[in-house]
Amino acid sequence: MKAALQRFKGLPFVRLIGFNRVVLILIIFLMYGFFTVLTPLLRNGSSFVNYNRVLSAFNYAYFIGFLGLGVTFVIATGGIDFSIGAVMFCSALISGYCLTKFHLPLWLCICISVCVGAAFGSIGGYFVAFRHLPSFITSLALMLVAKGVGSIFTKTQSVTWPSSDPATSWYRDLVKWNGFPVGFVILIVIAALCAFLLYRTKAGRYMLCIGSNREAVRLSGVDTRRWEMLAYVMSGTLAGVAAIFYVGAYTTVQPGLGDTFNNEAIAACVMGGTSMAGGSASILGTVIGAIIVALMQEGILAMGFTISYQYVLTGLIVLGAVTADIISRKRKN
Amino acid sequence: MNEIILSMNGIDKSFPGVHALDHVSFDVRKGEVHALMGENGAGKSTLMKVLTGIYTKDSGTIAYEGRDICYQSPREAQEAGIVIVHQELNMMGHLTVAQNIFIGREWKKGLLIDDARMNEEARKLFQLLKIDIDPKETMSELTVGKQQMCEIAKAISHEAKIIVFDEPTAALTDAEIEQLFRIIRDLRAKQYGIVYISHRMDEIKQITDRVTVMRDGQTVGTMVTSECSKDDIVHMMVGRVIFEQPKTKSHVPPDAEVVLRVEHLCAGRMVRDVSFELRRGEILGFSGLMGAGRTETARALFGADPRESGAIYVEGHKVNIHSPQDAVRAGIGYLSEDRKRFGVVLKKNVTENSTLASLKAYVNPVGVINSAEERKITEKMVKALKTKTPSVDRMVMDLSGGNQQKVVLAKWLISNSKILIFDEPTRGIDVGAKQEIYELMNRLVQEGKSIIMISSEMPEIFRMSDRIVVMCEGKKTAEFDVSDATQEKVMNAATREIAV
Repeated sequence: MKAALQRFKGLPFVRLIGFNRVVLILIIFLMYGFFTVLTPLLRNGSSFVNYNRVLSAFNYAYFIGFLGLGVTFVIATGGIDFSIGAVMFCSALISGYCLTKFHLPLWLCICISVCVGAAFGSIGGYFVAFRHLPSFITSLALMLVAKGVGSIFTKTQSVTWPSSDPATSWYRDLVKWNGFPVGFVILIVIAALCAFLLYRTKAGRYMLCIGSNREAVRLSGVDTRRWEMLAYVMSGTLAGVAAIFYVGAYTTVQPGLGDTFNNEAIAACVMGGTSMAGGSASILGTVIGAIIVALMQEGILAMGFTISYQYVLTGLIVLGAVTADIISRKRKN
Repeated sequence: MNEIILSMNGIDKSFPGVHALDHVSFDVRKGEVHALMGENGAGKSTLMKVLTGIYTKDSGTIAYEGRDICYQSPREAQEAGIVIVHQELNMMGHLTVAQNIFIGREWKKGLLIDDARMNEEARKLFQLLKIDIDPKETMSELTVGKQQMCEIAKAISHEAKIIVFDEPTAALTDAEIEQLFRIIRDLRAKQYGIVYISHRMDEIKQITDRVTVMRDGQTVGTMVTSECSKDDIVHMMVGRVIFEQPKTKSHVPPDAEVVLRVEHLCAGRMVRDVSFELRRGEILGFSGLMGAGRTETARALFGADPRESGAIYVEGHKVNIHSPQDAVRAGIGYLSEDRKRFGVVLKKNVTENSTLASLKAYVNPVGVINSAEERKITEKMVKALKTKTPSVDRMVMDLSGGNQQKVVLAKWLISNSKILIFDEPTRGIDVGAKQEIYELMNRLVQEGKSIIMISSEMPEIFRMSDRIVVMCEGKKTAEFDVSDATQEKVMNAATREIAV
């Protein structure tokens, strides 16, 4: 048994994506099977095996995935960002308001969404990297700011966009085109770019090293502040991207919400093998983690439970994943 | 002579690779101040840690008040009456003086803490010690000297019979030292046994009755203080035979180009007006005792800590160093004494660590790393420095201390540093690897690099340096050419008391 496991771990494919990721992929299939069996039992006649369910789970996975990718950079540097959920909603509200009330062109609104996210990321990054504030406090404060700014901008009204106007209907094709999950392709492409940035460029190298030993990096003559700030900018920017896909999937954004999604994004991140201690991160793990979170949400709703169960489970997953991370790091030392 | 209250006999203690205490004997009488002296690493602290139960001894006996003891924790020792007043004070700044003194054993009135009673008891203690401190004062409001007196009061309140002072005057002003000495004399008159650890020779002469000198984990001897001279003590401290061949004269011609000139460098309390020059191809040794300000000088020079004033010239040009970035750009590399914290990124591999200071040279214009080039230069360095690692993809965490040091060195060589600061280059490195590091340093200076070497080990200083700068309490106290230097001269300069 042990020998077989060792041999499995030695397979080129497993070595490439990491054993943990393989386990996570297996978990996805297990979960799917679990929901398939349980849903008809709990809700008479209802079935989980349904293409629409998959698309619905994907809808959820997109924005959680983008949020997770962003926060992966921050966690890689040893920080945390609790503002991303609220920032995503703030981006969506502001850009949506620009479209519906100011009638700006759609492409511009999409840019605005990304820019709003980047702006929040820059502010957070500035305070953490240049002013040495704890990332925990900084991001909690920005969460409040983002929540408030979104509400103020829209005069506390929910925004629904895009309209069914043919001029803006291409927007929804970004997420789903004739039943094909375009969003998933975009998620994978952006994740690949993130992976390239993190593992193959100077910026990514510095971010990971900063998360592992900031002082040693600084004493090597690297301006650690710039690169640490960049991680938060990435986080904010990707929250802006997440907003695009949230709107594309659900169309309506309400002010004052959104802050529960950070936890799911962070859960996706730590589940995927990004260490909360900083210094090591898995982009692929985050994407798989986002799919698990989304599938879990879909399954819970399909089985007839309320969203509150999702919160409980997400919380427990974070506890479990971080505990596992700490145990494995202790064993390594 | 008074009766012996504490006697430690044949104490032996080993750590992996180090024989820290080698059959050490030490005793304390009632009503005496017994000085414990020795270089850094001589074993003074280890001995005191064995006494107070922080370490357990491998063999030997400790007799206290006629009974054999072996404490398992500092708390046990404290309860029995053996207390250390530490160099760094363990006080909680936001609590009052009285709350600090009685922490963990507060008087209670029902469920509440009886502050009035505590203040009263503290007042009594201070009266006993003839010190003027308000027990209700917040601890952080007091000067360091007064905080230390509170520690002493706390020790007395534990009904201590033996009080160990670990470099008590390091942070005190002259007036505070006077007061401390008065208290110590009072305690002596009250028949306390006092152990006094200090590097300051003048204090030893002033306050202690006997002095025991330790060197390399052994006791060299115990003398009555009034019967020995300062020179006798210095001689006992350094009187080891240096097995390695020391340099007899500088290898650098006197007209060699000055590559680094530091003028009037000031940074905080630990770097006060330090000036020196470094020539091409020279190894400049920085000697001194722990806390002399050598590391702080290096860090200020490297831009790691802010400096208040001073000018730095590299190859004759004034350079503005405000951050390590500036220093690296000026061609300076710093190999920290604490490799794991400040030198390597443990969880990254040899390649990533080696190019950390020069990654700019291995990326294309958009910042993508050229892994092949990066690997090539790292492999070249691994070969040149004979770093023992299975591959350049191995995490630095898995390498030995000596090989980690080589990775840090590779980092600075790849970034083309001309001036290398080695801070305790062989700390935590085994003997064989030490030899290799020395050879590397000699090779580097032959190739035209210049080295500043901070070392607390006298043999290392004499073996490697062309010139020696000695620091004491943040100031440069002497500078010798290696041909004029002797261990006694260096130790004298390192223990020189500086008028405040």
